[in-house]
Amino acid sequence: MNKRPVEIVILFITVILLQVLIFNNIQFSGFINPFIYVLFFLLVPFDFSRSLLLISGLSMGLIIDLFLGTPGIHTSATVFIAFIRNEVLKVIAPHGGYELNVLPRISYMGFEWFFKYALLMVIIHHLILFYFEALSFVNFFHTLLKVFLSSAFSLAFIIISQYFVFRK
Amino acid sequence: MRNLLRFIIQYHVFILFVIFEIFSISLLFTTSAYHEAKFYQAGQKIKKNLAYKIENWLDYFSLYKENKKLAEENNRLYNLLKSSYKISYIDSAFRGDTLSPRNFTYISARVINNSTNKKYNYITLDKGRRHGIEPEMAVICGDGIVGIIKTVSDNFSVAFSLLNPRFSVSAKIKSSGYFGPLSWKGTSTSKAILEDIPHHVMITKGDTVFTSGYGSIFPADIMIGVISDYRLKGGNYYEITVKLSADFHRLNQVQVIRNEFREEIETLEQKAINE
Repeated sequence: MNKRPVEIVILFITVILLQVLIFNNIQFSGFINPFIYVLFFLLVPFDFSRSLLLISGLSMGLIIDLFLGTPGIHTSATVFIAFIRNEVLKVIAPHGGYELNVLPRISYMGFEWFFKYALLMVIIHHLILFYFEALSFVNFFHTLLKVFLSSAFSLAFIIISQYFVFRK
Repeated sequence: MRNLLRFIIQYHVFILFVIFEIFSISLLFTTSAYHEAKFYQAGQKIKKNLAYKIENWLDYFSLYKENKKLAEENNRLYNLLKSSYKISYIDSAFRGDTLSPRNFTYISARVINNSTNKKYNYITLDKGRRHGIEPEMAVICGDGIVGIIKTVSDNFSVAFSLLNPRFSVSAKIKSSGYFGPLSWKGTSTSKAILEDIPHHVMITKGDTVFTSGYGSIFPADIMIGVISDYRLKGGNYYEITVKLSADFHRLNQVQVIRNEFREEIETLEQKAINE
């Protein structure tokens, strides 16, 4: 149990490095820009302090923004999903609520639950992100397409990572 | 007072959320182009060394394509050599002459960071002030124009990519010679829009678009792309979609162009306006 804080810090740093060094360089025809650092907000334990999650959301967003040179865009999206996570968990809670000592991962919660959870979080995050980047509804459908394609890619990565890295 | 304290404790998560969100949105809306560039540079400084190493490594993957491009470019340059012309002595106005003053100097540089997926895209080059690069110089690659230098440090420089709505260049259509401003509207990374072409001009799809050479930044007749589509806007002017010839996803070697007469042209033009 005492290993948990260390694990969370390692996860935080790893997703940032992965995002900045690898995934920021993936751009298929300008439509698919996966943002996989959402993984951090998905995987922190159920009982993780909400204010701490908000603070990590703020710092994660600022770091990503600094690397991408986009002041405020990622920060507003990460702070928002850090806040909305509890509500999402409430909406998709299984019968009888969450058990103790269970982590939000496929190996504990099953594929169906995790897929719903990841899909909701990733879509919310990408929607905020891309519309804030465009700052208008001029290219509404163009941006929407971007949101869905990038979400699909991020989601695929997140699900695959569950089978290879975050096993029991 | 106690009630207020209790309220704050009870809703601290929501209050924290509102404060953070206001902070980040104000960050988003209050930054000017200048601050954005500064912010970008700060991030680049951290990333530069890292990016440089990765770029060094990634270069190997595009060696084949780069080699081919270099060979083509060499071929074109050989064709421009004086020795490949048969100069008749009656025509004394041979303009590539070493005796005539040099107009444009080319500085080759390598792209060490490049984005295409944002609304405002920038390119970082591995040469800077020490190599003779200054702001407002043109950047081209073998396939066409790339952008314009925005800020320089001693060893590096950052350019506005053509894929940046703040960038605009004067372009002309090859067949008719009519010119207008060309800029990117933030949609496809391979298309830009050429405007202000009057409606009586004949336009054909597939016609090439070059730089006009107006303004003192880009030399004339550098390839930009080909016309892929056009429509009348407001009845009087065409809005022409140009398919860009440079592939911005695969930029590597670029040439920065320095106009030796730029200062002279600009002071002269300024003088004409002031008088």
